[in-house]
Amino acid sequence: MTITLYDFELSGNCYKLRLLMSILGLPYDIVPVDFFPGREHKADWFLRLNPFGQLPVLKDDDLVLSDSGAILAYLAKKYDASGQWFPDDPAITAEILRWHAVADDITATSSAARLALGYDYDFDIEKSQKGAHRIFRLIDEHLWFGEREGRDWLCAPSHPTTADIACFPYVMLSEEGGISRQDYPALRRWTDRVRRIPGFTVMSGIFPAGPAKVD
Amino acid sequence: MPLSLSDPNWYPIASSEDLPFRHVYQGQLLGRELAVWRADDGNVNVWENRCLHRGVRLSIGINEGQELKCQYHGWRYANRSAGCTYIPAHPADAPARRIENRKYPVREAYGLIWSAANDEKPFAPFPGAEGQSWFALRPMPVNAAPEDVVAGLARLAPDDQPADLLPGLTVRLGEIVYFVQPVDAGRAVIRGLLPETPADALAALRHHNEHLTHLRDRLERAAARKPAPEPLQPIYEKVSADLATMPDIAVPRGNTLNVVVSRKWQSADGVIGFELADRDGKHLPTFQPGAHIDVHLPNGLVRQYSITNGPGDLLSYVIGVKQENASKGGSKVLVETVREGDVLAISEPRNNFPLRRDATRTVLIAGGIGITPLLSMARFLDKSSLPYELHYFTRNGESVAFKSELDALHGAVHVHTGLARDAIRGTIDQVLGPHQFANHVYICGPGAMLEMVQETAARLGWPDEAVHFEYFQNDKTIDASSAFDIELARSAMTLHVPAGKTILEVMREAGLTVPSSCEQGACGTCLTTVMEGEVDHQDVYLNKSEKASNTCMMTCVSRAKSARLVLDI
Repeated sequence: MTITLYDFELSGNCYKLRLLMSILGLPYDIVPVDFFPGREHKADWFLRLNPFGQLPVLKDDDLVLSDSGAILAYLAKKYDASGQWFPDDPAITAEILRWHAVADDITATSSAARLALGYDYDFDIEKSQKGAHRIFRLIDEHLWFGEREGRDWLCAPSHPTTADIACFPYVMLSEEGGISRQDYPALRRWTDRVRRIPGFTVMSGIFPAGPAKVD
Repeated sequence: MPLSLSDPNWYPIASSEDLPFRHVYQGQLLGRELAVWRADDGNVNVWENRCLHRGVRLSIGINEGQELKCQYHGWRYANRSAGCTYIPAHPADAPARRIENRKYPVREAYGLIWSAANDEKPFAPFPGAEGQSWFALRPMPVNAAPEDVVAGLARLAPDDQPADLLPGLTVRLGEIVYFVQPVDAGRAVIRGLLPETPADALAALRHHNEHLTHLRDRLERAAARKPAPEPLQPIYEKVSADLATMPDIAVPRGNTLNVVVSRKWQSADGVIGFELADRDGKHLPTFQPGAHIDVHLPNGLVRQYSITNGPGDLLSYVIGVKQENASKGGSKVLVETVREGDVLAISEPRNNFPLRRDATRTVLIAGGIGITPLLSMARFLDKSSLPYELHYFTRNGESVAFKSELDALHGAVHVHTGLARDAIRGTIDQVLGPHQFANHVYICGPGAMLEMVQETAARLGWPDEAVHFEYFQNDKTIDASSAFDIELARSAMTLHVPAGKTILEVMREAGLTVPSSCEQGACGTCLTTVMEGEVDHQDVYLNKSEKASNTCMMTCVSRAKSARLVLDI
């Protein structure tokens, strides 16, 4: 198997795949795509890989895949021997896919605000920020009650899943879109937990957490 | 009433469970952003949310347990004091302890964390607080003016049982007390308390959460129809120069502080432990690993003892004192006459034995009572999960001091007991191994052992700057045969120092008051700036580069190579 990631280093969606592959210990090659300022994801050669013109794209031998959430599911189902990152159970699968959809909403809001502020994109900043706050409020509430019920992660299992990977990057990068997480303490604690997953890796703007307390 | 930046009232700023260990909570009160973190000892710190260095938010920093590390350049600040303990860009530098972050008052009570904008008012429980075991609801942030939130809460009351408005933006509705945290002019957090944990806690939490969510939505809709209030404009005061500057190589001896001996115990055969605490229970000054304090003894002597504490451990200093018969009257007085409850004067901590925290391998070698500074170093490295090995040589098992403290460490701790000299040498040889990049060794123990480690390290290719040690005693023979003149620049005086007399003695005979303590070139008290002339250093206090700089000297033992010295006195 040879995995190739068509990657933009500052993209949170590409980082989702780097993060899961780092956790799973999967070797992969990178083909850098100059998303900004080169707009290479709209170049003909890239559109032949993904007509939607979106990063990331992942090639596994001859198989070409796009959409970060779909690729997370693929990598987990194919390479995660433990089966924990995308469990087979139908109810949990539905739960994870539900959060993959939330992750896309976070991209449409938090990431859009970041692209508008830092990458010259013509998005409605205020609308994007408001949208992100609305989602963060809901996630914070979900995670706050989760802590009370003994659930540390977005989905029911007692371990993280691709749902946590999918939602994490543009939560962490929200400040770059002018979206403070001060009002979401449970969300902030969850980001500590994600950053303590063995095999965790960083990207520009996402720092590691210190070690947890050892007794 | 509009919010005031100088409002002295206490407000809740977080729930207790918002602060798990090793987390930094981001809060805000009256416009001021806060970094709030619980140390491993349970203490809650409420600090201004910016690093003194480059202003980066400390809430994105790392809670290392007893120190908070800034994410940007790794400055570390101590639990309780907010004093800077380490600057990675100056890894071998001594005290950064004067650099101190802005702190706010804090109290943990009734399941909430309370703070205030200033120290004007002591914390007081809210009316009816005592006698209940309060249970905190999920906090509800609201984008509306705090006074509107108070009014909104009051409107929740049924007609026959009006809300009780308490001072400090507090509303009592039946048995529930709601506090409104004034985050900013247009932002608040509702923090509710039930008088006891409900039978079905989760159901109750969900019920109240739903209730408050509806209130929040109503308040935010109303707020959206009004012009948004101007946010408060807190002034980020500059920290005083005294607290924000890097001290020179050596801090002149400042005032002493009085401490009470809160505990005295036999730590091991021949070693007495003393715990020294502030008389009012406040925290003591920030120290770095390797630091020592001067202890002013009842018989007028001043002796130096290393602090054994771990990071951010400032409620008391613990020192270890050797019960030796040959004592000049220093340790002996402490051991024999000082009792629990006695008050002693000590200096602020100073550090001649700084610990680098950028080594790939740190070897700590202690002989006997020399364990004291190395125990502190091991505890700092331990908390930061940095690799280290501690080798502790003692005469026998009974003389292993601070055993329970050593047992609590997670690193490689080796106690070597009863080894003969050759065996010690062999062990040290093995422990050190050939020098590799970024390896550092720290030694504290009897003079003979120090020399043995230095020799071994040199033989194995360890450069001088990787071998760290500290002398408490100057065993060198002082050569007082030279004669020279000293010009005292500030006193406008020129004095002759004849053979057989020290600079210190000559200055005192001329009527000058000059501080000194050990008078053997070990403690640093008489450190003096040299403006001209070449110094003949005979002390063990200054390190090589400090001596080579020819800018300072110890007037108690050091002399001149040139015919004349100009001193800043």
